[in-house]
Amino acid sequence: MRQPGRYSRLMMCGGIMGRSGPHSLPLARIKKIMKNSGEDVKMISGEAPIVFSKACELFIEELTRRSWMTTQQGKRRTLHKEDIESAVVGTDIFDFLVSLVSDSCKSEDIITPVGIETLDES
Amino acid sequence: MDRSINMVDQEQDGMLPIANVGRIMKQILPPRAKISREAKQTMQECATEFLSFVTGEASDKCHKENRKTVNGDDICWALSALGFDNHAQATTRYLHKYREAERDKAAANNQNTAHIKSHGGLQVAQQNQTSNLEFRVLGKGDNSLVTKP
Repeated sequence: MRQPGRYSRLMMCGGIMGRSGPHSLPLARIKKIMKNSGEDVKMISGEAPIVFSKACELFIEELTRRSWMTTQQGKRRTLHKEDIESAVVGTDIFDFLVSLVSDSCKSEDIITPVGIETLDES
Repeated sequence: MDRSINMVDQEQDGMLPIANVGRIMKQILPPRAKISREAKQTMQECATEFLSFVTGEASDKCHKENRKTVNGDDICWALSALGFDNHAQATTRYLHKYREAERDKAAANNQNTAHIKSHGGLQVAQQNQTSNLEFRVLGKGDNSLVTKP
C-alpha cells in the first residue's frame, strides 16, 4: 500500500502542514490580532491564521522592497524608518498606513505656501 | 514592578513579534543590508495594522452574508477588494494547496483506518489522526530542552 508522502514542497515552503515546519509568523498571535480588530470578529476558521501568515509575509516583503528602493536612492545601506514612510506615502494601496507612519513623523518640515501679496503694502 | 515596562509588554503582545518581522525583512534584502531598530518597529506596526485592516474587511463581508466564521476565502477576497491583487492571487494558491494537503491527509487517515479494520491486524497508522490544525505558538524555532550541567 502506498505510504502517504510528505508533501515535501508544501512542508518545506512555509510549512503548510505546521507540524514539521514553522510558519514565518506565530499563528496564535495572528489569531489574537484578528480578534482584537473588531467586535464583529467572533469566530475564525482554522485556516485563516495560516492564510494570513502568508499574506502578512507578502505584505512585509513588498513594503520592505519598496522602502529599500528609497534607501538605495539615498546611497545608503541601512533601511530607516523614513524609507518605510516614503514607501507608504508613495504607494496607493498603503494609504491605510499613512496616518500610522505620520504619527511618528514630525511634520515640521512641511512648507506651507505664504501669500506674497501681503508684502506689498505701498 | 515598573508599570511602564508592563505597558510596553502588553503593547508588544498585541503586535506581530518584531523578531519574526525583522527576519522576513532580512530575507528579502541583500546580504549586506542593515535595518535600523526603528524601521523594524515601524514595519511591525504596519504589518499588524495590515492584519487588522484586512480582517475588518473580511469580517464585514461575513457579517453581510450572515456568516459567523471568517475563513481563508474571506481573507483572499478582502485582499483583492483592498487592492492587494498580487497578494490575493498568491494567497489563494497557498490556501488551495493547504486545503489539498488537508484533504489528502484526511483521505490517508481514512484509508489507514479502513486497512486496519479490514485486516484486523496491529498495523500502526502512519499518520497522526489528531487534527492537523494543532499549530504551536512559535518560540525561537528550537524546541529542544537544553539543560546546563
